[in-house]
Amino acid sequence: MARTILHADLDAFYASVEQLDRPELRGRPVVVGGPPEARGVVAAASYEARRFGIHSAMPMSRALRLCPQAVRVSPRFGRYGEVSRQVMSVFRAVTPLVEPLSLDEAFLDVTAQVRRYGGAEALARRLKRRVKERTGLTVSVGAGTNKTVAKIASDMQKPDGLVIVAPGAEEAFLAPLPARALWGVGPRAESVLAAAGLHTIGDIAGARPQQLEALFGARGLAVQEMARGRDDRAVETEHERKSVGAETTFPRDLADGPELREQLARLANEVAERLSQGGSRARTVVLKLRYADFHTITRQTTRPEPTDDAEEIESAAAGLLDAVVQPGDKFRLLGIHGAKLGEGQPDQLSLWSAAGEAGRTPAPRRD
Amino acid sequence: MKVSALQENLAKGLGVVGRAVPVRSTLPQASHVLIATDEGRLKLVATDLMIAITCWIGAQVEEEGEITVPARLVGDFVTSLPNERIDLSVAARGHQLHISCARNEATMAGMDAADFPPVPSVGDGLTLKLEPKTLRRAIGQVQFAAASDDTRPVLTGIHTLAEGRELTLAAADGFRLAVYKLALTQDVPERVEVIIPARALRELERLIADEEDPVEMAFNAARSQVLFRLKTAELVATLIQGTFPNYSQLIPQSYTTKATIDMRQFLQETRIAGIFARDGAGIVRVQMEPGEDSQPGKMTVSARAEEIGEHRGEMDVKMEGEPSKIAFNSRYLQDVLQVLDAEKVALETTTPSSPGVLRPVDGDDYVHVVMPMFVQW
Repeated sequence: MARTILHADLDAFYASVEQLDRPELRGRPVVVGGPPEARGVVAAASYEARRFGIHSAMPMSRALRLCPQAVRVSPRFGRYGEVSRQVMSVFRAVTPLVEPLSLDEAFLDVTAQVRRYGGAEALARRLKRRVKERTGLTVSVGAGTNKTVAKIASDMQKPDGLVIVAPGAEEAFLAPLPARALWGVGPRAESVLAAAGLHTIGDIAGARPQQLEALFGARGLAVQEMARGRDDRAVETEHERKSVGAETTFPRDLADGPELREQLARLANEVAERLSQGGSRARTVVLKLRYADFHTITRQTTRPEPTDDAEEIESAAAGLLDAVVQPGDKFRLLGIHGAKLGEGQPDQLSLWSAAGEAGRTPAPRRD
Repeated sequence: MKVSALQENLAKGLGVVGRAVPVRSTLPQASHVLIATDEGRLKLVATDLMIAITCWIGAQVEEEGEITVPARLVGDFVTSLPNERIDLSVAARGHQLHISCARNEATMAGMDAADFPPVPSVGDGLTLKLEPKTLRRAIGQVQFAAASDDTRPVLTGIHTLAEGRELTLAAADGFRLAVYKLALTQDVPERVEVIIPARALRELERLIADEEDPVEMAFNAARSQVLFRLKTAELVATLIQGTFPNYSQLIPQSYTTKATIDMRQFLQETRIAGIFARDGAGIVRVQMEPGEDSQPGKMTVSARAEEIGEHRGEMDVKMEGEPSKIAFNSRYLQDVLQVLDAEKVALETTTPSSPGVLRPVDGDDYVHVVMPMFVQW
């Protein structure tokens, strides 16, 4: 089933908090950062300030030359943290699967909630409204079937944006965008790609895999997967231990067959054992495969209940293997990981998480 | 003050108001009971400042007056007296209550009635008349789902909504939700939506145990107090301010499995499984399977405790839909099953991690939503 991942990014966060707390700053160019005489840099600039060409990481002295009427304020990280916690709690009211990336942005996996809210758009609008009600801040939201697409989408219509990329439309959505919009493509990679004639994400998607591998090694293939709109990284919540896994590199490449399946069972056993030793259970089973040509893929499946049972893990991994294996494929490495670990103690589910945010909405009042 | 009353009546009255006396109080007057003459009767009042209970008993008033005395002391004393006539007296401007009954005499130090915390006056602004038997049933089936810790104070209350010709009581503690709809005999003049402390309604439930006449429920204009008026007693409670979760969205609108079960049998099986579940986080597993051909469906209730043992019990049920399995905290199941007075109850489920819904089969006035537990099957 296609996932629905949101990337929520607060607009000009530090500057917006300052404008919120000090109404006299609203509508004026605000830069947050240390004073120019202390060689301060811009930590955040309000949209009014950005119109003058000010952007974050710019030396403060330069920013104030570009826009002498800008108001400089020193950052108050304690306050930003406080607001950030409020925002994250709004996110967590919608889904427990929230992965904060920093104070002002987070991924949300809302796959399980999206139907109840009447679709991704309605859910995203509601999220935006709740953040606004709770904190007075605007947040830009991107929605898609994976992290790459959601993250890029959230940046498309800032501020207060909402961009939804429908399942199946990922590749077309990404294709016209510049290569650097992709995660992991920095200025250096960008110039390497440009020299190879690859300027847009579409160019990367259409390139020969060998060319990308020659330029960036194994990472090149991962970048191409993303460029094609494929990205199965899970939204990982903070308190989750990353994963428990086992993998093995074969002395010689193996085709699918009894020997490979035997290894699969052995690894599943090992993962199950480590899970139970650690007193935890995995909700997600990840299969890792490295092909004879070093091309590596991971595939994962998330189960309704966490498990530490060897057979269950094996059958989940076998299902993933069945789905990808093609006749003639040979593998160098096989791995199984259990991710999204939960405590061994079974959880009592909460009424509010079942209802998402709905449970916290004020009852309508007519009196 | 000079009054006489029957020991039986006075003991009963002190028992009724004694429920409102706080166990501990920083305000000494609050651990007192107010005893006052009131139009030919004796009025007893106790309050913990959140709720106040007033009770009137028949008495012979010779001389008007009032005093407060320690509730516990007077209660224990009067209860121990023989069932005969009790004479109470307070000397003019005196602060001592003199009690005599048969050959017992006592004096106890009291305080000026003027220092007793005033009971908020609610007035007759908006009044609903409620049938005591239905009201008791509604409170009984809802109150246990209210939160017992006050991390979210609104959840320690019962959401009370009067609208049209219906009164809806609802409580939710984050893991379960209970909603009871009571039909009223006439339209509510004005929509009222308030949160009544669960404790106040529990006390009310006790108070109206023998009541036959309709109970009046009144709210003050500011919607900060509620008054319940009985024939010989009144309970006033301070309402909880805040916004109650919009619970109607928490009630699933559909199901994929529905099992109709004999209530007593289900409760019995849940209790048995609960014995084993004690050492296993209280988990009971419920599995439902449709019967083959025209056979009845089967429900299995099981529990297991690591290294201790396990148990499974089976029941015949009427099944609709797909086989299903779901795990619950045994206490949550028992809580609801033991207050239902229906013969049959329906359990509706969708997935092992979606809320389960329990409804008595003989009416649509009650619905109970319980969240399952994540378990490994």
